[in-house]
Amino acid sequence: MFAHSGLVLLVICAAFFLPKVLKLSTELSMLIAAIAGAAAHSILIAVTDSPHDAVPLIPVRHIVEGAFTYFDVCLIFLTATFFMALLRESGGVAFIVRKIVSTFHARRTVCLLLLTFVLLIPGALTGSGATTVLTVGALVGSVLSAMGVDETRRIAIIFLGAAMSAAAPPINLWAMMAAAGANMPYVGFGKPLLVLSVSGALFSMFWLAGRGESKIDLKAVLAELPEVEEGQSWLRVALPFALLLGLILAGRIWPFSMPVLGLPLIFMISSFLVVILSPRRLNIWSIACSTVHNLSTLVGIMIVVGILIQVMALSGVRGLISLEVVTLPLGVLFATLFIILPLSEGLVQYAVAPLIGVPLIMLFNMRGLDPIIALSAMSVIWPLGDCLPPTAVVGRAAVLELDYRGRYYLDFVRACLVPMAFIALTGTLFLVFSTKLSFLGG
Amino acid sequence: MNISLKTVKIVSLAVSVVFAGIAGLEFYEHRHFREAVVPSPNLDEVKKLSDYEPSLKDSVNDSNVYVFDSGVPGGTALILGGTHPEEPATNLTASLIVENAKVEEGRLIVVTRANRSASTCSRMGEAYPAYYSVKTNWGEKKFRMGDRCSNPLDSWPDPEVYLHYPSRQMLAYMDIRNLNRTWPGRPDGLLTERTTWAMTQLIRQEKVDIAIDLHEAELEYPVENTIVTHEKGESIAAMTSMVLTAELFEVPLSMEFSPKALHGLFHREVGDHTEAISLLAEVAEPMLDRIRGITDEYLLMTGRDEFVMKAGEHKLLYAPIDERGWPIDVRVGRHSSTVQKILEFYSMENPDRAVVISGVPGYGEVIENTLGAYFHNPEEAPEGSVYFD
Repeated sequence: MFAHSGLVLLVICAAFFLPKVLKLSTELSMLIAAIAGAAAHSILIAVTDSPHDAVPLIPVRHIVEGAFTYFDVCLIFLTATFFMALLRESGGVAFIVRKIVSTFHARRTVCLLLLTFVLLIPGALTGSGATTVLTVGALVGSVLSAMGVDETRRIAIIFLGAAMSAAAPPINLWAMMAAAGANMPYVGFGKPLLVLSVSGALFSMFWLAGRGESKIDLKAVLAELPEVEEGQSWLRVALPFALLLGLILAGRIWPFSMPVLGLPLIFMISSFLVVILSPRRLNIWSIACSTVHNLSTLVGIMIVVGILIQVMALSGVRGLISLEVVTLPLGVLFATLFIILPLSEGLVQYAVAPLIGVPLIMLFNMRGLDPIIALSAMSVIWPLGDCLPPTAVVGRAAVLELDYRGRYYLDFVRACLVPMAFIALTGTLFLVFSTKLSFLGG
Repeated sequence: MNISLKTVKIVSLAVSVVFAGIAGLEFYEHRHFREAVVPSPNLDEVKKLSDYEPSLKDSVNDSNVYVFDSGVPGGTALILGGTHPEEPATNLTASLIVENAKVEEGRLIVVTRANRSASTCSRMGEAYPAYYSVKTNWGEKKFRMGDRCSNPLDSWPDPEVYLHYPSRQMLAYMDIRNLNRTWPGRPDGLLTERTTWAMTQLIRQEKVDIAIDLHEAELEYPVENTIVTHEKGESIAAMTSMVLTAELFEVPLSMEFSPKALHGLFHREVGDHTEAISLLAEVAEPMLDRIRGITDEYLLMTGRDEFVMKAGEHKLLYAPIDERGWPIDVRVGRHSSTVQKILEFYSMENPDRAVVISGVPGYGEVIENTLGAYFHNPEEAPEGSVYFD
């Protein structure tokens, strides 16, 4: 079986990189890789004396089933972006940016603290870094621009803030999924996640934007910012956000009487309020079309990743990769997890939690580490991989949202390296000293 | 847009529609596949879960409740299979009992598909086979392979985070569709919560004395080949574990207590919220391991996997595994003997509320004769005596 799954893995890699060389997009290359992997699996079973069940050359059921793995996540991407696009078109984003700059232009540190807080909220509540980018990314980016932060540092801040927001409590999907897989209650994760994610977000913000003029030339900056529609007010801008937050919190405060709406519907209800309160008439159809168009790459990659994971599970490739990771010696694991975790996140997204998170947490538990602290540490390192190939979901979303023109790896990812190292280091220290830090999980 | 790109788009759309059509047909057939059950002649009646929670009437989770009444005064036992339909030894054991049981004292109630909805889809990203079959003397008996959680077609969307009722403990969002995280349930909740509520009501109304939930677990998981018991079932679980380990099972059956801080689980909530003693039995299933190799019906039924064996060599497992794997006959046989031994010790401790059953093959018999030898041909069954899960 090792030879079988190893060969299928080789076919998947070759079929992924060949179309890439021919300049096909990542999504198409990955789809071709998944189909080639499935075909190789089918052929290998047919031509060897394998006792395993025959599989069609193209296992249609598995391809379609895998395509729906991240259906809910895609719906959240689409509706959250639509909400922010409506807000932007109504002039709400420009209004908020101007107000923040006007109020805090003389206090850079306070302004950066406020922006860190704004970045952390959406992902902390939804567990999705992409939601942070799509809802407040452009807004925070505009304020940073007004503060004189260059575009590469801006996108790095938005990405790292989004990554830490996804890691922040109360909702950390990696920890929740791995805890569910290991039959641990999702309890006690709040403090370790808070310490790690907030320190990571603050370090990122001040490392990348801390230096600069403490005072901003208000007149010059305001002149560069878009004008605000007449009639726009705090009430018109804040009410949709208040509704969004209110509907999310209502589900927590009254979980047994509040109907389950789901984030996509919550974003759509809030979008409806943006339309009603907008001082200018909005072309909803056109905004919806451009939202879907802008996100087609992001949604496409999520669909194809689902297909690839299903094929990898079918052919044993997923098991092979998991097995190779969990059988590494503990010392080697500690020394390499800060690389393995982001890389695997870049490969399979949230599916990494059940894929290697569950075996790892069971391994750590068996070796006497504190499973809550260890899983919290891993769950803060994982989102760093959201700017890495082949998926790079949050990184790509940030590029789209901020209309970034620089080089992806040589500029953007490079700018993230020092804060990433800080986050990975604190995460690794938490992992190694998890037993001594177990009081945080109490 | 140039013509060639347009052509590519039209062809892509056409291929997608064809794929969706082929897969859609398979999903439809799987969702509507009916599993025939031929209960033993000692069956008294077949109720429905909607008899205990009317909102389930005609819903996908209006599962069959098989009631065997000896007519001799005694207690009442409940056995649940199919709580997690990705664990086939559970509904197969429950079916084995339904098709062969004779109740000598008291009453026996069996639900073979506790979460029927979860058996109508397979888990996305896991590449499970859609069905599995048991070889019998009269052909193959086919079953739906399912997911751990209810089908999103029946319960969607999930909340961003699931707050368990009534403890308000925070659990992963998908666990609101996990039958073993929604006990004791609530009548105005989502489908899975209403299903556990129906079974909690069943336990209360039928005055169930002892309830057993059957499960399978990955070998990487520490709660393995064991009985998890509520405090009320301590002596029964301890005796069962000791006797079966000493006399029958090759791999020991352990025993542990239900954690008090972990909510929504059968062994905790049924014991806390009803009069019944609650116990949960686990057996090893290598196909649930994340480190498994090729995923198919062969692995599901034989439990043979080189990758899992390799993990065992690295001492990463909580259960032993070798070339023989964990075949379905072994897994079902263990569960069957565990259930029977639990009822035996319960009856010894509570002679005035005893539940005595016979006719159900145990570990040795199932392994020797195979599981299929104990399933009956629905085509030869008398009219009106075949039920569908």
